[in-house]
Amino acid sequence: MIAYLVTIAILVCVAALVGLALNLQWGQAGLVNFGVVGFVAIGAYATALLAPHLGWFPAMLIAGAVSAALSAGLALLSIRLEENYLAIVTIGFGEVVRLAILNEGWLTYGALGVADIPRPFAALGQMIGGDTVFIAFALALVAVVFVLLEAMARSPFGRVLRAIRDDATVTSALGKNVFALRVRAFAVGGAVMGTAGALHAFYLTYIDPSQFTPIVTAYAFMAVIAGGRGSNVGLLIGACSIMALLEGTRFLKDFVTVIDGVQLSALRLGLIGAGIVLLLILRPQGLAPESKRRAADLLPDDKASA
Amino acid sequence: MAAQLFFNGLVTGLLLALPALALTLVFGVLKFANFAVGAMLTLGAYAAWVVNVQLGLPLTAAAAIAAVTVAGAGLLTDQLVFERLRLRGSITLLVASMGVSLVIENVCRFFFGNASRGFDVALSRPIRWEGIRINQEQITIAITVVVCLVAVDVLLRFTPLGRAMRAVADNASLAAVRGVERRTIARLTWVLGGALLGLAGVLAGLDRSIDPLIGWNYQIAIFAAAILGGLGSPIGAVLGALTIGVAEEMSALIIPTNYRQVVSFAVILALLLFRANGLLGAKAARK
Repeated sequence: MIAYLVTIAILVCVAALVGLALNLQWGQAGLVNFGVVGFVAIGAYATALLAPHLGWFPAMLIAGAVSAALSAGLALLSIRLEENYLAIVTIGFGEVVRLAILNEGWLTYGALGVADIPRPFAALGQMIGGDTVFIAFALALVAVVFVLLEAMARSPFGRVLRAIRDDATVTSALGKNVFALRVRAFAVGGAVMGTAGALHAFYLTYIDPSQFTPIVTAYAFMAVIAGGRGSNVGLLIGACSIMALLEGTRFLKDFVTVIDGVQLSALRLGLIGAGIVLLLILRPQGLAPESKRRAADLLPDDKASA
Repeated sequence: MAAQLFFNGLVTGLLLALPALALTLVFGVLKFANFAVGAMLTLGAYAAWVVNVQLGLPLTAAAAIAAVTVAGAGLLTDQLVFERLRLRGSITLLVASMGVSLVIENVCRFFFGNASRGFDVALSRPIRWEGIRINQEQITIAITVVVCLVAVDVLLRFTPLGRAMRAVADNASLAAVRGVERRTIARLTWVLGGALLGLAGVLAGLDRSIDPLIGWNYQIAIFAAAILGGLGSPIGAVLGALTIGVAEEMSALIIPTNYRQVVSFAVILALLLFRANGLLGAKAARK
């Protein structure tokens, strides 16, 4: 039971990181990315292959950097495209990553996967319980990323991203380089997805291609929609509630004997799809909508200065 | 070898032509790319499988029921989902269609599991002609698709409904002024697109085994075909499908067959970069 709760907690942390990244790209910058899983997989594989040689911290940094670089590359090629086209290009990217991982066995060990990925603070974990240490590590990682992204959302960079999302033409007319800003937003999102992949690899200590399906992307979208596009706090609430609900249904397997495991997983994924559609229709602003900042909040207070 | 691959490519292309046409027709009238095309194709394949294998009816009857089922599913999703979100911008519609795709795919998985299924059709010896091996299934696919394409062409060109569809696709407000109801046309477009996807599912089930991911495996190629032809252009979608089909099969000569799908992706990317409006030209793809 405890082991199970630990697993859920870690999965929530991974989902929260992926969701935070998508919330930057889609929620704040308005760029749809259906290839989320590809970036997570790249981060996980970079970590898995590098951590035994370089240690976990450099491996995690490089995982983020590789993911960010590929993200920036894809953005440079395709970010000018209209939404429909950007969507299919990112889906295609995700599929290409999947095929490459499956077929480039010399690097990724193909369908066999990569085992024996070292965990951070493994020595400390042996003294006071591996799970406790790892949960603390995962929570700290989410907290750091959250603080950084929240600071970014409040910075001029975050402000101009939201402006681009709401009206790219006006923003461009005001002298902002819309293209470069979009590429940067995509790259930062990619870095966070790569980091999420690293956390995933550290926790499981074994990764293979079957762990990286388009479902990861669907979870992220669900979390962003549920939380409220653009709101990082909402995203955390969204990610937690979704993962708790979904993972909770795994318990059902022990009580419900009418349906088998495949049916249960189909039910779970179908519910994700239905949830996305229903939330879009019924509650488009999400559970914790992005706070609307009025112009007056940004200007110096007239009465105080007078 | 090359001739055989070229022939196989043409048949694959014809198979892609129906879903690509469905994608492009719906895009023309509703102005959003329906990411549930793959899942709807899967639904068609399973509907036909139930009728053909479980009820024991011939495949032609199964195909008809598959077409009706998917047309119904298209109408239903339009009514329940897409119409309600119509004014909320294309990104919302895109994401919603991904949600619909997940629902349909997993309804199929729930009832039929992950096992591979096949239609109950008699195996027959392939025909040899000029050194090319031609399967019965390939002949069935080619004939069905050509008949469908001619029917759609006649419908679009010579009937009042086809004229109305083209008018709405071209300029919805102007069509409305002339008394063409967008809502009715949208519904009929879903029926037509759904029927094409249902038939495509049956043909795909003849070509390979049926599993919940059968449609997803075609997804990128379908989009590549429709984009190649310029989203919204029916003739373009068919030509694009043939090109993608041949390109994918012929790619076996130079790259490992595992990477076939990469060809479609590369075509999309190259096309969007260098000729953003598709081969026949359509709506601008860049913002």
